[in-house]
Amino acid sequence: MSQHTPAVDVSHLAVIDTDGALREAADRVNNPSRRGFLRGAGLVIGGAAVSGLVPGSAFAASSGDVAILNFALTLEYLESTFYAQAKKHAGLTGAYKRFAWTVHEHEAAHVGALQKALGKSAVKRPTFDFGAAVQSQTAFGATAIVLEDTGVQAYQGQAPNITSNAIFEAAISIHPVEARHAAWIRNITGINPAPYVVNPALTKDQVLAAVTGTGFIK
Amino acid sequence: MRTEESDPMHNDGVGDTRTEQLVREFDHDEAVGEALAGLHEETQKVEVAPMSRGSLLKRAGLVAGGGIAGMLIPASLARARDGGTKANDVKILNYALTLEYLEAAYYAEAVESGALSGTVLYFAMVVSAHETAHVGLLQSVLGAKAVKKPTFDFKGTNRKSHSFLTTAKVLEDTGVAAYQGQAPLIHQNAVLAPAGGILATEARHAAWVRDLLGAGKTVKPAPEAFSTPKSMSEVLKAVKATGFIKS
Repeated sequence: MSQHTPAVDVSHLAVIDTDGALREAADRVNNPSRRGFLRGAGLVIGGAAVSGLVPGSAFAASSGDVAILNFALTLEYLESTFYAQAKKHAGLTGAYKRFAWTVHEHEAAHVGALQKALGKSAVKRPTFDFGAAVQSQTAFGATAIVLEDTGVQAYQGQAPNITSNAIFEAAISIHPVEARHAAWIRNITGINPAPYVVNPALTKDQVLAAVTGTGFIK
Repeated sequence: MRTEESDPMHNDGVGDTRTEQLVREFDHDEAVGEALAGLHEETQKVEVAPMSRGSLLKRAGLVAGGGIAGMLIPASLARARDGGTKANDVKILNYALTLEYLEAAYYAEAVESGALSGTVLYFAMVVSAHETAHVGLLQSVLGAKAVKKPTFDFKGTNRKSHSFLTTAKVLEDTGVAAYQGQAPLIHQNAVLAPAGGILATEARHAAWVRDLLGAGKTVKPAPEAFSTPKSMSEVLKAVKATGFIKS
């Protein structure tokens, strides 16, 4: 563990867990490896009972993990800003409106959690221009599908690269939520919500190419 | 390396008819099944000498540039989970297989019942195909180590439209929590990658059925910002409580 790696606080990414999972987490403390020790520090998993060990604590994360969290944060900035603007300009009604209002809340929560985890290491929110994508309900729907599908593939592609178990668990608590978002908006627009037997993953480069290709990031 | 157009794994599906998407899904099965059959060979071997992660992935044909590059991350970036063992991976895969057996049987019966129609029937048909494919994929990986399919009694829940949907919602939500709960414990990256892909598919199923039930009003397709994992013991306890598994 390098002395120079930044501290990352993932306690705000904590999800309430069950007794069974807590027991399994405790079992992993007995793993003699260094990373087993870090897992046993009781971050992320569990509510107060477990994180009460070291509430709100930070721990050293690899620079690779920080890069992955910042990659995720960039995508979440993109999504949350997209939804915020669509809510204002796209004239959303009915199911589209319900979707946008709920999903915006989620993406904003993801931004907040990732920013808190990264602290000073967090990248700043870029400037976005969504153009026509947020000017009509139809364009909104089509764009949301692309953004959510890409988000799923991005998290799925990066998760196996994460070295910290706490960050890995946080990432896979977001990944299925993005998949739910993707299926939801697909169903609203009338296309197959679940087009894959096994959802594909994308590499970071593939995701960045797709995102920069949209022209949304200024 | 396949181009986006020819790679069946790169599937945005936006312009396709639902039939075209279903057809492509069956292509997916063969590619995935064949690739993971290589992994199946590895899980059968007694470990005499340590096999490096790189060679394991190459044996299974899973390196970047292979036909499933769109699904799996390149071997150079892959990292096995710390802790966990190949033996425990078999336990996790059999746990997943048990859940997939249950779902596949549930949906197949529902489709055959004749009680479903319209968008509900379409949902059941697509998801039935997926769960059946998941069973095949897991059986292929596990080979002789695969648990046998149980016998089920779904107590008529999948023979009426509304109870079918409410039960399917529980099954799919549980499946998501189950895969999410096990992912950190998976040792081999070649197991983790498809598990992540199945996790996302089950999450799509879960959102879809919730939308069929409540159209985003009474039942939210995505009920929370952060998904909650469940342990194996909790899931198996809940499954047992349904009484669906007879033997």
